[in-house]
Amino acid sequence: MNQTMKIIGVLVVLFIIAPLVIVVPMSLSTSPSLQFPPPGYWFGYYVQYFQDPSWLRPMWNSIVIALANTVLTMLLVVPATFALVRHKFWGKSLANIMMLMPMAVPHIVMAIGYYNYFGQMGIVFSKLGVVLAHTSLSVPITFLVLSANLKGFDQTLERAARSLGATPAQTFRHVTLPILKPGLMVSALFAFIQSFDETVVAIFISGRDAETLPRKMFDSIRQEADPVIAVISSLLFLIVFAALFAPLALRGIKRLSGRATSPSTTRS
Amino acid sequence: MTASIRDKQNLTPWLLLLPLAAYLLIFFFVPLAQVAIMSVTEPQPGLGNYERVLTSPLYRKVFINTFSTALLVTVCCLLVGYPLAYLMAHTTKKRAMLILMLITMSFWTSFLVRTYSWMVLLGRNGPVAWIFLQFGWDEPPQMLFTRFASTLAMVHILAPYMIMNIYSVMQKIDPSLVRSAESMGARGRSLFRHVYLPLTAPGIANGSVLVFVICLGFYVTPVLLGSPREQMAAGLIGRQIEEFLAFGPGSAMAIVLLVITLVILAIYHRRFGLDKLYG
Repeated sequence: MNQTMKIIGVLVVLFIIAPLVIVVPMSLSTSPSLQFPPPGYWFGYYVQYFQDPSWLRPMWNSIVIALANTVLTMLLVVPATFALVRHKFWGKSLANIMMLMPMAVPHIVMAIGYYNYFGQMGIVFSKLGVVLAHTSLSVPITFLVLSANLKGFDQTLERAARSLGATPAQTFRHVTLPILKPGLMVSALFAFIQSFDETVVAIFISGRDAETLPRKMFDSIRQEADPVIAVISSLLFLIVFAALFAPLALRGIKRLSGRATSPSTTRS
Repeated sequence: MTASIRDKQNLTPWLLLLPLAAYLLIFFFVPLAQVAIMSVTEPQPGLGNYERVLTSPLYRKVFINTFSTALLVTVCCLLVGYPLAYLMAHTTKKRAMLILMLITMSFWTSFLVRTYSWMVLLGRNGPVAWIFLQFGWDEPPQMLFTRFASTLAMVHILAPYMIMNIYSVMQKIDPSLVRSAESMGARGRSLFRHVYLPLTAPGIANGSVLVFVICLGFYVTPVLLGSPREQMAAGLIGRQIEEFLAFGPGSAMAIVLLVITLVILAIYHRRFGLDKLYG
């Protein structure tokens, strides 16, 4: 491994990480404008964030919409994924393309489409409209994650259950479902995040009543006034950070405590 | 008896697929088709909107801007991503894991947060301006709301796609291929050009198509960080709707953008298969 490659690597990692990290100290700054270095540190804007209904309401909307989106997406995608992974039928490759289509169409195109269509149906600017739109957009990623899991599923286990006298329903409930559970959880998580982060369609169709967090953030950033944006940005970043590094940290703690107790325990 | 079982089996996939297919028809394909219809009916029937979108200098400028930006972002992502992917594929497993986690962290952080972080960095009193100041540059150049800012932020946002695609290919390269090329006398640049680069080509293709296509339709980052005078296609479509309620020209432009995107993806799909793209 030569030296220049290493230096380039370190620089690229810095380029990827530094912009994210810088938001955290800025969110603790006392200055209302984005001033570097911050003149002082406090938690004032965090307090402000958690007391301001104009920020809490969009956050709540986003959570409700993302949850509804997850349930609806899973109800539709799980059976369809079984059909596509486990069955051979006429038109299968077409069905496959159909399920991936929402990923291929730029969101701005769908934003016009939904704005117009839901306007005709009278559900533009409502939570229902946003959920219905987000569900379409969540289909591809949920399908891809779930089908990758289902492809790795060893079907002899189901056949064994059937040969031992289990009905198809029992087999599904006691064999298929428990084995597939992690895959289902991960794909549901992807559906949730897809909706929670979706910005472009929400900007056009969520309006005031169903305003989602990304829409509120977009508007605030565009007006470039509210120091609270730094707070919510830091929080969103720290959630991802915690979700990724918590398992690692836990394992580290376990290993440390394991080492501390290992002399007294016999290894078998 | 056997025939009925076979019939039942043949029906099963259709029944499983039906709810989703119906849903996508009603809540995806119909609204999409209506965009196409609006493009030839608003404000009056005919191809006037397309004529305007495809021939007027204003729209042409936006399309050229969109393409050149997407190309530039793709090339920059490649320049940034390839060396890092190489490093990850050739360092210790522990370090590769750590880098992968940091990239995943960026990948999972919302587009908006990443866009905002560039606003913080490049602002008039931000960290970059502060560094300029330390070097005695009193009046730092205007960085925010320029093409430079939006391009830089898009490279930052899309680089993880490129890195992950290239890394996943590099990881699978059989080291004995490289060793045998070496034993045949391939060295340095020629080893890279004739052996390593072709082996990583599928990853480069995957990453580039993905980055290019996302960039073509990018709305949020160019609108927030870019120059209002140098709009990209999605930004202009949004403005047509938001400010002028001009659904006709807006839809025509959306359809042009859609067709270009789909053509690129279709070519890609014929060669590699679309489901590999995002996997």
